[in-house]
This record gives sequence, structure tokens and C-alpha cells, in this order.
Amino acid sequence: MLFFSFFKTLVDQEVVVELKNDIEIKGVLKSVDQYLNLKLDNISCTNETKYPHLTSVKNLFIRGSTVRYVRINPNAVDCTLLQDASRREAMQAAK
Amino acid sequence: MSSVQADKQTEEPLDLIRYQLDETVLVKLRGAREMKGKLQGYDSHCNMVLSDAKEYIYNETGEPIVKDCEMVFIRGDSVILISPIS
Amino acid sequence: MSEDKVKTGPSVFLSEILGQQVKVKLNNGVTYLGNLNSIDGYMNIVMDSTSEHVNGEDFVKTYGDVFIRGNNVLYISQV
Repeated sequence: MLFFSFFKTLVDQEVVVELKNDIEIKGVLKSVDQYLNLKLDNISCTNETKYPHLTSVKNLFIRGSTVRYVRINPNAVDCTLLQDASRREAMQAAK
Repeated sequence: MSSVQADKQTEEPLDLIRYQLDETVLVKLRGAREMKGKLQGYDSHCNMVLSDAKEYIYNETGEPIVKDCEMVFIRGDSVILISPIS
Repeated sequence: MSEDKVKTGPSVFLSEILGQQVKVKLNNGVTYLGNLNSIDGYMNIVMDSTSEHVNGEDFVKTYGDVFIRGNNVLYISQV
């Protein structure tokens, strides 16, 4: 649940999602669910020449399992909070 | 889970990752990729967030492609191996 | 006869080889030789003094500690 909560804090931020098939999509994160499926608005393909088939698409639902990376604006992340939350989740899992 | 190691005194593999929080790690990924960066968060699926990360994409022809990223989330299912960098 | 025998099975093997020298082969063909520190029910593994071998015996790289995500594990054998 940690990263579900983490992504919820990133809603309305611009992110770049890299998929396992190498497509990179930049867009505004609009929503996320427990599977880390993502909804992006105002999307553009950062490598459009290679993958031109999303040029007319405005918003997108991405199945979480197809994601390789999500690049995030570092200013949107509270690192100490995330580290502490990771430790807390590890403690809970151990119980 | 407890079928293998019921004894809570003994260390679990994921504890190693916990010790690496705020430290630099090397993550070996599927698709001939590696990522080096400072570990900011992880969960039991090995989903991770790294900061000041460098991605290395290896191909048959010698030098890897290197990409920099200030903050990146890595989905755990691509992870093969995690190792601390001294 | 069999009742005085303690339980056997994979989990017993796995706890017996803790702290010993093991070889771990992954689905992608890479093998790791090292000292087994810990293992869990997902077959997530932590080893130390590990060496990585890509084509059978060719020595490639060494690691201090490594965590291997369980889904990549093909087998673990005692060496």
C-alpha cells in the first residue's frame, strides 16, 4: 500500500512513465489505484518519432503491470517521509 | 512464508534492502539494464524509489547507454538483484 | 518407523543450508556463487561474498551482499 499512497501524493504532478515496451509517456498524473494503474492527462510521447501512434491521444489509462519506470519531479517527493514510511511498512510486514 | 523460516530472530532477505535506505544501491533489471541511485523507498514487491539515479542500458556493442534521472520509481517485477555499493 | 523422523522437505533443506556456500541459478541463465545469509518463502535470497557467472564458469563480477528477487530463481544448490 506504500506506493499507492505515494502516488496519491503525486496527483496533479507531471510525470514521465516508461513502459516495458520502451514507450515513454509524459503527462499529468490524474489518478492511481492499488495495482498502481495510472491515469494520465495531457499526454505526449517523449519518443514520438519512434512510436507515432499516440499523437492524437489526450489522456490515457495505463495498466500498472506494463510500467517499467515512473520519473518524478524530485521536488514533489519528501525523501525522509518516504524512508520512514518504508521502515514502518517493513515493521508491519514482520508482525 | 513462515514455512521456510518461522524463527523471527533470523534475518529476512528484505531486511538487507531496509538497511540500504538512504544509501547508494545497484539494481540489476530485466532487459539488460542496471540502475544506480540512492534508495529512498521500497516495498515487499521490490518496488523502489531511487534519487540521483543513473540508468545503464547494455547492448551487444560495447559501451552502455547512460541516462540520468533525479527521482525515479522502479516497478518491482523488473528487478533481478539489489546490491549495496560501497 | 517414520514417526521418529523429523519432517523433511524443501523448507528443511533451505534452513539447513543457511550460512553455507551455495550456487543459485536464475531463469536468465546467470549463476551466483556465495554464502547464503537468508531466504524467505518467495525464494528471495541474500548472499554475501558473491561471484556472478554468465556462461557456465566464466567469472564476471563480484558483489559484497546481494539480494536476489525470488521470482528469478531457477534453483539453489549446496556446493
